[in-house]
Formats: sequence, C-alpha cells, structure tokens
Amino acid sequence: MTMSALSRPGERDRPLMKFLEIDWVFCLLLCLIAGAGALIMYYVAGANWQPWAAAHLVRYGIFFVAMIALSMIDLRVWFFFAYPVYLAGLILLVGVELVGDTAKGAQRWLELGPVRFQPSEIMKIGIVLALARFYHGVSAESARFSWWLLIPLIMIGAPTLLVAHQPDLGTAILIGATGVAIMVLAGLDWKLIAGGVVAILAALPPFIFFVLQDYQRKRILTFLAPEKDPSGDGYHILQSKIALGSGGFLGKGLGLGSQSQLDYLPEKHTDFIFAALSEQLGFLGSAAVLLLYAGVIFMALRIASTSHSHFGRLGAAGVTATFALYVLINGAMVMGMAPVVGVPMPLLSYGGTVMMTVMIGFGLVLATRVHRYSEVTSGRGSLL
Amino acid sequence: MSEPSIFFSEVNRRQGDFNRRAFLLGGITGLGLAALGTRLAYLQVVEAQRYQMLASSNQFNFIMVPPPRGRILDRNGVVLASNRPNFRLTVYRDTDTDVDHVVGNLAQLVPIDPAKIPRLIKDIKRAPKKAPVPVMEDLTWEQFTRINVRAPELPGVSADMAEVRVYPYGGAFAHVIGYVAKVNDKDIKKIKDKGQQPDQLLYNPGFRIGRQGVEKAFDLELRGKAGGKKVEVDAKGRVVAEDPGGDLPPVPGDEIRLTLDVDVQRRALEVFGEESGAAVMMDCRNGDILCMVSAPAFDANGFVRGLSGPEYRALAQYERNPLLDKALSGTYPAGSTFKPTTALALLAAGVNPKERVVCTGGYHYGNRIFHCWSPRGHGGQDMHDAIKNSCDVYFYHMCNRAGIDLIHDTANKLGFQQIFDIGIPGQTRGLIPSKAWKKEAFKKAPNPDARVWHLGETLSVAIGQGAVTVNCLQLCVATARLANARKALVPRLVKSVGGKELPSGAAVPDLPIPKEHLDIVRAGMAAVANDTSGGAYRQSQLGLGDVLMAGKTGSAQSRDYKPGESRKNAGLTWSKKDHNLFIAFAPYDNPRYALAVIVQHGGISGALAAAPRAREIMRTALLKDPEIRARIEKPLPLPELDPNADVEGAAPALPADGLATPPAGPAPTPTPAPEPAAPPPGGPGR
Repeated sequence: MTMSALSRPGERDRPLMKFLEIDWVFCLLLCLIAGAGALIMYYVAGANWQPWAAAHLVRYGIFFVAMIALSMIDLRVWFFFAYPVYLAGLILLVGVELVGDTAKGAQRWLELGPVRFQPSEIMKIGIVLALARFYHGVSAESARFSWWLLIPLIMIGAPTLLVAHQPDLGTAILIGATGVAIMVLAGLDWKLIAGGVVAILAALPPFIFFVLQDYQRKRILTFLAPEKDPSGDGYHILQSKIALGSGGFLGKGLGLGSQSQLDYLPEKHTDFIFAALSEQLGFLGSAAVLLLYAGVIFMALRIASTSHSHFGRLGAAGVTATFALYVLINGAMVMGMAPVVGVPMPLLSYGGTVMMTVMIGFGLVLATRVHRYSEVTSGRGSLL
Repeated sequence: MSEPSIFFSEVNRRQGDFNRRAFLLGGITGLGLAALGTRLAYLQVVEAQRYQMLASSNQFNFIMVPPPRGRILDRNGVVLASNRPNFRLTVYRDTDTDVDHVVGNLAQLVPIDPAKIPRLIKDIKRAPKKAPVPVMEDLTWEQFTRINVRAPELPGVSADMAEVRVYPYGGAFAHVIGYVAKVNDKDIKKIKDKGQQPDQLLYNPGFRIGRQGVEKAFDLELRGKAGGKKVEVDAKGRVVAEDPGGDLPPVPGDEIRLTLDVDVQRRALEVFGEESGAAVMMDCRNGDILCMVSAPAFDANGFVRGLSGPEYRALAQYERNPLLDKALSGTYPAGSTFKPTTALALLAAGVNPKERVVCTGGYHYGNRIFHCWSPRGHGGQDMHDAIKNSCDVYFYHMCNRAGIDLIHDTANKLGFQQIFDIGIPGQTRGLIPSKAWKKEAFKKAPNPDARVWHLGETLSVAIGQGAVTVNCLQLCVATARLANARKALVPRLVKSVGGKELPSGAAVPDLPIPKEHLDIVRAGMAAVANDTSGGAYRQSQLGLGDVLMAGKTGSAQSRDYKPGESRKNAGLTWSKKDHNLFIAFAPYDNPRYALAVIVQHGGISGALAAAPRAREIMRTALLKDPEIRARIEKPLPLPELDPNADVEGAAPALPADGLATPPAGPAPTPTPAPEPAAPPPGGPGR
C-alpha cells in the first residue's frame, strides 16, 4: 500500500494513495499549535469565544481543508504556476505603491472589488516558488558562483524593496531572508555568503540611521534601551517581559494572567500572544509550544530532503525557512531580544492573512511529500 | 539555462549540497529555538520573582485613604473641632481627556460659577496626570448621585465622600485652635528645605494642613497616618476590582483634649461684644487655662473652605484686627494692674506697708509733675489703700526705694516677660525695663546719657506705663501666682494628646516671694472689689453669696499726652483711646480662678470697661465648679432651732446641686414644694 519509488506507474496518482501519503503527524502538530492559540484567545477574552477564539478556529478549519486540497496538487502544477504567481505578486506590489490604501500610515492593502488584501503576503509564497523554479534549472556549479546569480538577487531584491517601501519592515525582512535562505540551500558559495554577511553588518548602521522611517528607528533604539521610555515604545517590550517572567515555571493558570487580562500586555491576541500563553501556562507550556514549532520545522525540512525534484526540495525548504523566521523573530521580540516588528507567531496569533500564507505554504510542503517521486522537468511542456 | 543538465552526478551533487545545507540551516534554526528556550527559562524560572513583583505592582494599586483628623475637645469632652462628611467633586485628566468638554458637561449637571470655569480648566490642565483637582465641595445628595449616574460619560470626573474639618463653635476658639487650610507650595517647600520628603498625604486634594494655634502646633499628631484601599487596576488605570482583604486601614489622628472650658470661653467672647481685646482665665491650683479669648474673632470654618479675596481683605483690614491673637501676640501696657507687682517689689525692698504717703493729686519729681489719676488726690495712703484706690502718687513716691531692677526681678518672678510652653506658638515676650535693658537698647544712641536709667523713669514703670508691655497670658499668670501664693504656676493649655496626659502646671518650684507679702497685696486687691470705696466695688460683685472676687483695675494710656491736651477719652478716635484692664481672682478666701481681661482702647476705665466683663466670665466659671456651687447653694445659716423640728422650706435647701440639676427622680411630695424661706442664693446681682 505505501508508496515508494518502485510503485507501479499510475498507482501513485490515485487520490486515496495521495491522501494516505499526507503526513498526518505533521498536520496534528499544526492543529495543536492553532488549538493552543484558540485556547489563549478564549481566555484573554475573559473565557469568551468571541471575538477571537471562534473565528480563529473556523478560519483554521477552512485553511486546513485548503491545505489538504493543495497537497493533492501535483508538483508540476505548482511548478507551472511558480513564475505567474511571482509576477502577479510583483505587479500587485507595484499597484500598492501607486494606489494602495493607507492603513496606520503604511500602504499595505489593495482593494480588488470586495476583496481587500496585502500583496506582500502573496509574495511570501511567490518568492519561494519562483526561486525554487529558477534553481531547479540551474546547475550546482552555477548556483554556487556565477553571473546567473544576479537573477535570483533581482528576484529577491525587487519585492523586498517594494515591501520595505510601504513600509512594512517585518515582511520585507521575511521575504528577503527567505530568498537568501533558498540561495544558500541551493548551494551558494561560502565565500559569497561570508562576504554578504560582512556587507550586511557594515550596511546596517547607516541603514538604520538614514533609510528607516522615524518610527522604525525609534523601535530599534527602544529595543536597545527599553528603560528609557517605559511608557511609550519600551512599554510593549517591558510589559511582555513582565507577562512572561511573572508566569513562572507553571504559569498563573488559564484565565488568571493579570498582564493579559488587565490589558497591560499590548496586542495580547496577535503579536504578543506567545507572552499571554507563557504567562498563563508558564515555562512548561511555552517550552512545549516551542517544541511543537521545532517539530513542525524539522518535519518540514525532512519532507524537503526526501523530494526527488530540486523544485520540491527548495520549495518546501523555502516555506519552512519563512515559517522558522516567523517563529524566531516573534519569539525574540516577545522575549525582549529583538525590536518590535509586526511579525506574528504563525498559527498561534490571531489574523487571517498570515495564517493563509502559512497554510498555503504547508500545502506546498505536503504536496512535496505526496509527490516526492514526481519527475519535474523544466520547460514549458512540464505541465501535464 | 532552459536546457536542463541531466547528468546524474550533477543531480546528485545538487541533492547533496541541499541536504548538507538544509542540515546546517536546520541546525541554526535549532540553535535559535534553543536560545529562545534558554531565554524563556531565564525569564520564567530565574527572574520569575522579580517579574511577579512587577506584575503585581502593575495589577494592584493602593488608593490613598486619608485618615480622619484627630478631634479637639474641651476639658469636659465637648467637641471643639471634628470632621463632617463632605461630598466633593474632583476631576483628573488623562492623556486623551478633552478637559474643556468635560468641564462643559459638568457645568450642565452642577452649578459651577461660569466665571470660575476658565480658571478651573487651567488648574486641571496644569495638574499632573491623574491627580484629582477639586471642583466643588459640599454637593447635595442629589448632585452627588447625578454625577455618579452619569460617570461613564464624564471621564476623569469623580464624586466621592471626604471628611472636612468643622468647628462647631465658629469663632470662639478661632485663635487658640486655629484652623486648617489647603496645603500650598510653601508648605511643601518648607518640608523639602528641611531635607525631608513630604508625606504623600499632603498631595491628597482633600487634605488640609494646620495653619494656626493647636491645629498647627499639633498638626503631625492630629494628622494620623493614611491608609490604602487595595484595588486591581487595568492598564488604563480603571479600577477593576477591590480587594478588601489587602486594605490598610488609616490610623486616625490623635485626639487632643484642651484645658479650655467651652462655656467660659464662649461667655468670654460674648461679653466683649463689639469691643476688641483679650481675656485669659487660669485655674489657680494647677495652671489649666479655662479660657483664652481674643476679640473680635473670626469663623474658622471659612478658612477651611477657603476665603475669597474680599472676605479675607475685610478681615485683614478691619482696624480691630480679628486675625491677631490678642491673648498671646498682642502686648499692651499693664497700667495699674502692674501695681500689685510694684507693691511686692516695695515689700521685698523692706518698705513698711503701713507707711503713709499723702496724695495731693500730683507728685513733683525733677522738673515735672506726675499726675495721679484722681486730680483731687487721695489723702494719706498706706500700701493697702494705695492698691485699693490705685493711688499713683503712693507708687511714685515709693518706687525708687525698690529701684527699677527689683521691680524688674519681681515682675519676672510673677511671669512677666516670660514665654510659656503651652504648646502653641505666637506668644510675644513683652517688656519690663531694667537698667541692663536700657543700656542694651540704647547702646547706639549718640548721647551716653540715654543709656543710663533715670530715676524718673521708674515712676512710669511703677504704675505699669512707660516701656512696660505685657500680654494677656502673662497678666493672667501673674494673677494666678499671686492667688496661688505658693507655686510659680505655669499655664497649661493642652491637657492630653492621644490620651497621654501632659504635666500639670502646678508641678513647678515654689514662688520665691514670701507669703506675708502676697497676703498684703491680695488684701489690697480684695478691697478694690469688695470695699465699698474700692476702685471697682460695684462692678466686681459676683452675687454668689460669700464667694467674693479680688481684683485690680487698670487703665493704660496708648498715646503720649501733649502738654495741655485733655486726658479725657470722649470724642477720641478708637485707636487713641486708653486700654482698660482688669485682673481678678476668686474666691478670695480660697482662690480657684485667676483672670485677666484687656479691653483694647476701651476708653472708659478698668473698672467700667474691663471689670464687668471679668465678673461675668468669673461667674460662669464659678457656677460651673461643683465645689463652688455646693458652697454658694448651701442654706443660709438659720437661727438655732431644734434640729428635729420640721421647718417648712428648710428641707429642699439642703446642700445639693439644686440650681442646675433638680434632684434625680421627682420629689415624692405631689404638691409643688413651697418656696424656701431663704431667698435663693446667688440670685441676680444686687
């Protein structure tokens, strides 16, 4: 019954076979994380399903079904749509730049008829797909060191700069870092990596002081010395640390978190939900959630490495990189180790767009697992 | 690039590269997650306690509960100062409060003077964030509930109940007890200048600080300690829940019991009428001050509320100066009330009290005539007569036998020029001149002669004029020492603080004046009041049977007589009239109360202006004293009869406290008892 490289031709394409090939343990981990999020939302709302917990679960259910459906789609279809999705995202980003809606002082939203969405989210998937497709057709030698590498650089640079200009620093970092991660995974020369790291470190101070918007710079400076501004920007970091620390080893108990219940913790259901969780469930609970995330990341990487196609490998690994970056940045921010950038804890935080992006990404990961034996050829004729 | 390279080794190399790199990046991610876990452990396990403390200091707040200010009682426990509930309205501002809007809304709910609104808005905006600014006091219950019902629409507005100081007797104790008022910047600065941190209580909008008298001197004792109400607050500072278990109850201020007697004090203020002056009465046995009045007085409750500009100016600019405590701070020439002191000095100098001086109405000394108050003269006067008639010439003649320094020393022994520790500030020292004083006071004078005491100056001092100034308390202390005849009594105003008794005024050394001397002077004073030819005979009859008063009149000029100018007071402006004084003690045979009355610019005479007032105050005190009552209410001695005979009317007149309180329980006789044969003692004056 189990699928293998030696399965009869056609056998692997049977829907039931595909369905059974889905990594259900992986799915269980995702459900546990989303469930933990709903639990915390229920309690920070004062033991109330409204306004967050119920919506979070319903949304997760819908995206979960979508993820399963996406996992059934052959990698070759993903491959076919890789560049179109990327291009569409890029065009929409330009569109935002020109006619975007301004929310909270930043152009992020685009309205197409009744739908209102952030093109930068499409780009998170688009960049992974496009780079995976690009490297799929590139030799190891070229991926290591060649002029061809200018193409992925431009592919990463364009959306990153556009998103940064909105300005949405968190998403820009995510897109850029994901792209770089894929380049590294594809076999970039170590010398280039080392040179890039040095260049970025050298460029960081002038970038902070000349390129960043005032509020972004302030967030970073506040992060470096939060005590200087305990009621303004430093407030978020301080209150988050208090929430975490006061949780102690076993936590204050569900619904008993004074920091989250009394609104001292800002954004307690979105960006800072991890702090609310830590306050109520303590070190035990928050470490367990971190282990869940670790499990998801390592299972996804394992899935990537089992793929027979380079596109699948890089695609799944790229999605994993985005996810891991979310977790690390948000975790560091909540614990006072990074400046406040608007990056939520994926699946745990309330919010539909990020959840959609992540679940579509995991759809690709699962599709990679289901179709790990697929031969993905490059070129136009690859689709069907 | 479009052509794939399908060399097998090439594909494998890409896969190998990927796997190695994926392993590496996975490892880095693992490290990152491990770092997060370590950080979590650090925050939640190592630093947990610190953050738990921070969280609870976020979560819980103590709302200050001001302590009730200690009450002030009179010697019998009558309340002189206490607290009453007060519904008040306060507004504080938050970051996003629209102050103008809130005050505008408020003005529609409660009557706020439109003229005061701009000032109010400024105050609120200037106050620190979340510090309540008082808007209105003494809301009616209706206004109070109206505000509380509308509270959600009025951010920062709160109507609560506080306590406010109240003085039930208004002005009668205004100078002694003083008053409380809002804390101002100067108070805060004074505390900070001393290097201390001001009590948080001082910043509470309802708090009042003691400003005068007992309220000021015992402010810390009366204040008590603030308590706290433990409440749970959310991030916006709203109270979410109360935690009565965590409340810290406030410690009420100490209760202070004074030696004053409310009835005597009020009677004393009453008898002054519109006149200005002071009266102090002491118990001659233990130094307790029964009354200490300065007239005219002011209503201390007004200061608690806060006076308006015109109200304050009216008080401050009135020439009879209600704001000055004339009993302690005002000094006046003693006039003839100083003669007993001079007489004691003469006796100390060995003058024979029987020696006579012939008074012809004037006394030539140097190239000047010193007039006696009686232009006709008194004829031959010994010391007793001279006190009784207040003969100036006798003292002119005799004074230099004692000399100025002996007079000065005797006066000091009696308490003049002293500041007594009665617990409240504001006493002025007054002055009894001496040779040393003159040398010191005129040391800058160009003429060396000005530094020398001239014998002629002693003449003025002997009759309490010249440089002599005393305050009313000193005058009363001197009278009390004279009456006590044994102890150098010191006055006591505060009986107990927080239940702790203060030392009695009798626990002092003996008065260093021989009793025989005092007896001679006291006999003279008794004659003033009770000899039909005494200086204040008619004005000094207490009408309390055999309880008699002894006294001494005094009239002190408050201006220099120019040659040829009339010495009459009629028609003079108030501020130029003579001061009228009277000192007294009673009962003469067993002194109990000593009294000094000063009528500032009374303009008549000590006998006419001051003595009747003294008599009334004395009567009130004597009638309140149960022992004196028992004495004056005992039946008049009846002719010797058979004690068993049933004499009509004799029975009800048994010594009892019949006048004030009828015997408990109705008399068994159904018919009204007939009037006793003897006239009721202590009836209206004769």
